[in-house]
Amino acid sequence: MNVAVSRAGRRWLWLVFWLLTLFLYAPLVILLIFSFNDRELVSFPWEGFTLHWYQTFLDNPEILTALRVSVVVATLTAVVTTILAIPASIALVRRRFFGKGLVSGVMLAPLVIPLVVLGTALLILFNTIGIPFSPLTIAIGHIVIALPFAILTLVPRLERIPAALEEASRDLGAGWSTTFRQITFPLMLPAIFSAFLLSFVISFDEVVIASFVAGDEVTFPVYLYSQLRLPRQLPQVIAVAVVVLTISAIVVTISEVLRRMTDKSLEETTRVHDEEEVSVA
Amino acid sequence: MSDPGVAISIQRVRKSFGDVRAVDGISLDIAEGEFLTLLGPSGCGKTTTMRLIAGFEEPDEGTILLRGTDVVGVPPNKREVNMCFQHYALFPHMAVERNIEYGLKLKKVPKGDRQRIVAEMLEIVGLAGMQQRKPGQLSGGQQQRVALARALVNQPAALLLDEPLGALDVKLRKHMQLELKRIQHELRTTFVYVTHDQDEALSMSDRIAVMNQGVIEQLGTPREVYEQPATPFVADFVGVLNAMDVRVDEVAGEDLVMRVSDRDRIVVPVGPLGTEASVGSSLLVAVRPERVELSIGDGAAGNGSRLSGTVGQVVYLGTLTQFHVDTAIGERLIVHHLSDDLSSMVNRGDEVVLTWARTDAAVLSS
Repeated sequence: MNVAVSRAGRRWLWLVFWLLTLFLYAPLVILLIFSFNDRELVSFPWEGFTLHWYQTFLDNPEILTALRVSVVVATLTAVVTTILAIPASIALVRRRFFGKGLVSGVMLAPLVIPLVVLGTALLILFNTIGIPFSPLTIAIGHIVIALPFAILTLVPRLERIPAALEEASRDLGAGWSTTFRQITFPLMLPAIFSAFLLSFVISFDEVVIASFVAGDEVTFPVYLYSQLRLPRQLPQVIAVAVVVLTISAIVVTISEVLRRMTDKSLEETTRVHDEEEVSVA
Repeated sequence: MSDPGVAISIQRVRKSFGDVRAVDGISLDIAEGEFLTLLGPSGCGKTTTMRLIAGFEEPDEGTILLRGTDVVGVPPNKREVNMCFQHYALFPHMAVERNIEYGLKLKKVPKGDRQRIVAEMLEIVGLAGMQQRKPGQLSGGQQQRVALARALVNQPAALLLDEPLGALDVKLRKHMQLELKRIQHELRTTFVYVTHDQDEALSMSDRIAVMNQGVIEQLGTPREVYEQPATPFVADFVGVLNAMDVRVDEVAGEDLVMRVSDRDRIVVPVGPLGTEASVGSSLLVAVRPERVELSIGDGAAGNGSRLSGTVGQVVYLGTLTQFHVDTAIGERLIVHHLSDDLSSMVNRGDEVVLTWARTDAAVLSS
């Protein structure tokens, strides 16, 4: 009997599922609990519910500055990454050219290069050519690591848009740019949106590269990391972390929901004739 | 200068993909208002030929003229032909109206005119009032009609159809065949139709170009292609074929005769190949299943062919009954007979006599 369908098997799967979920999310729940705990030390016992820590971080100009820098860097990263990823994914999916495998390998390589290596490399590079460290240099580093994710978000979507749609547009008298504006872009839009949000979140969360190439203005994760050695600061830092976590989760959920919704609408046209064949036969 | 009656002229066109010669030297003139079908098995080069006309592929050699103008190197958006794609390729994010007016909008036709033209075209294809539907809400047959309308509103010099009915079920396909023919007749547009379905080709076309391995094997009316196949491939691909290897025993006037036994013989008129045929030479002779007469007992041959044999299999097809007969020459012939009293009497294992008139057999090759 199939383990996945037998009663005992199902119970086991259920158990494993919940253990995994617990393993993944218990740390976050702990974080959430301590952000409301009315105690200076981040540990049990529970001393009572408080919003004090949320209050103090809102009054802390350093945290707010770091958050602002993060938002600026993440926005810049998301915009540039998306703009670069669109033509890159079109070239990878639609064109046949010499060395395509190599090109796609090179573009996706940052996925497997350790961030410390990349951070060091960027540090040396910026020093050598004399670019001062600033939010801009952080964004450049983040674009490098976000680009493969953005491309990998766009490619599957593009693969599901039949090339015949673009040919039909050309056949009806549209040039390349009109075809892109009228057909390819609108159909890619959900994936473009996903790629944008994903790049944003990747940049917003990233600490390694940001700590290597940041100037005086640090991003929020870098600030958070630097505060860990000051126990008195810890509770309010945790409160910020919860806020950031929540925002990240919401953003990623929205992008995923949007992607699925619009994927369905693209499928409908191709699904209709299958159903018809079955019903008449 | 070219003939004004010619919509598309393909001249000595070749196209290879890597080592594969998709189109291997094709010349073809398609007349204005003609319904021409490119018929052949998959991989024969028919779709490539169509894509060469549309401009999605460029020929390695040769020229393509559209209404007398050389279009080689002209991108598809600048060619006045339109295409109906195999899976319709309707824009899923646009309503029917926006799909159909796509080409008109690009030609800067004013909005009022566009709406009127779209409404007229929907009327012609039998979808009046469906302007605001999304492609996903339409059935396969309806999507097909929208795709037709979207191409035809541009009044192309020719409409290219790439297996347009392939995704429809049999009944709807028969209906759409008639519809396509009606629309073509109504608008007098040149249709270039690609299919691998011989029934479709025979029932719709003015002329058929039968393609195989990148070349046109035969170009002719459906009747010519069916009744006077020029090559063994055409005879085999279009319709059911009985091919027999025959050795000439006697040349009697206009006829080549092969004696099988005292009473059985095969007679073929001296055709275009006749000058070379002489006693002792081998021929490939073909006869269509529906031309063969089946009888029980003593069939009179007249001056035609006669073969006796045993029924090996009986296949009931509705209007027709198909008999597979093992004949005295050692080959199994297929015979189509109307499903009448005689058909119901003949069973597997029965002795039968097959006869056909001398003009019903054709020499395919020697």
